[in-house]
Amino acid sequence: MFSSSQIDVAGGGFSSSQTTDSSRSSAKSRDAQPMVPVTVKQISDAVLSTDDKSSFKIDGVDVKNVMLVGMAFNKSEKVTDVQFEIDDGTGRIGCLRWINDAVDTKEVGRVEDGKYVRVHGLLKALQGKKQLQVFAIRPLNNYDELSSHFLACIHYHSFNTRRNGVIAPSQVHNPISAVSTPVNGHKSSSSNQFYGEYSTDGLKGIDKMVIEYLEQPSSVAQEKGVHRNEIAQHLKIPLEKILETIESLESEGLIYSTIDECHYKSTTCG
Amino acid sequence: MDTSSPAVLVNGELLPMHVGKRVRAVIQVLRSDGSGTVTGKSTDGQQIFVKGHPPAPLSTFVEVIGIADSNQSVRADIWTNFGDVFDTQGYNHICQLANGEYKHLFI
Repeated sequence: MFSSSQIDVAGGGFSSSQTTDSSRSSAKSRDAQPMVPVTVKQISDAVLSTDDKSSFKIDGVDVKNVMLVGMAFNKSEKVTDVQFEIDDGTGRIGCLRWINDAVDTKEVGRVEDGKYVRVHGLLKALQGKKQLQVFAIRPLNNYDELSSHFLACIHYHSFNTRRNGVIAPSQVHNPISAVSTPVNGHKSSSSNQFYGEYSTDGLKGIDKMVIEYLEQPSSVAQEKGVHRNEIAQHLKIPLEKILETIESLESEGLIYSTIDECHYKSTTCG
Repeated sequence: MDTSSPAVLVNGELLPMHVGKRVRAVIQVLRSDGSGTVTGKSTDGQQIFVKGHPPAPLSTFVEVIGIADSNQSVRADIWTNFGDVFDTQGYNHICQLANGEYKHLFI
């Protein structure tokens, strides 16, 4: 059983470092195990991960921490904990929130049966039944959060299934040479070509090409960075498209401008 | 509410496909007669009648969860006031996605 000293839920904030005995591993691998927005249906379809017995696989990804939005039911308060069920219209799941101090009591005090809440918690299986060990719970501020939560679930699911479904063995180790088709060819060919086992998964075709060009040893070797015209010329892509790509890559922190706004370097290489 | 009985997200267009099943919808309240029937506009602009015991007062937007008993009406057992400001377009889009391409995440 978890002792109260192992749980740090001060301030009602939530992050994977607040999980209990698994906090060490999840704090380290925080990037690999983010807080995943899910529906209860997705949780009920999840299977115990074979690689990591303390997490579940949803859409092929190991998941420990989840985010749910739904209606609270059957709230039952005890001295050390509060139990309730969350129903988000796709199913119901039992939740447990440990109570350690006044902050926790206040937080769960705002939960009432029939009220919509957002919960963040650790997915656990107890005697074959899935349960959520909740770090944080709060009532919805406005109900658009419901729509945006479902959208986030859809987006995350789509991102993971696309990535896992699209990695094919032969391709994408040298996409630059593979692309001698003009820009129209980009649009008509499926974006399959450009997804691969890079950490830049999820980038669109042109974004990937620019990043890969900047990651080439010849680009990395240039201290001043690479001029965007050179990128456009070399990749045979119109400058406006390159400019758009540069803007989005820069905002994601994948590239940075060097001596002026025309020269760029990759943040991950060199 | 029945334990773990999912409710399909619907708008006016999708409601007829789920008659007899548990559904949920957000409606904009147009009028409410005293005897428990609320006339509302679904998120795609169609008229829906909701029967049951609405809370008083009703806000502009209400989510109703219950059994669809005809192409245009729901017998609701859960009513939740969603306030006076709500993004109907966003919700409508979710209804379409939840009944279409991403149905497996919801039902």
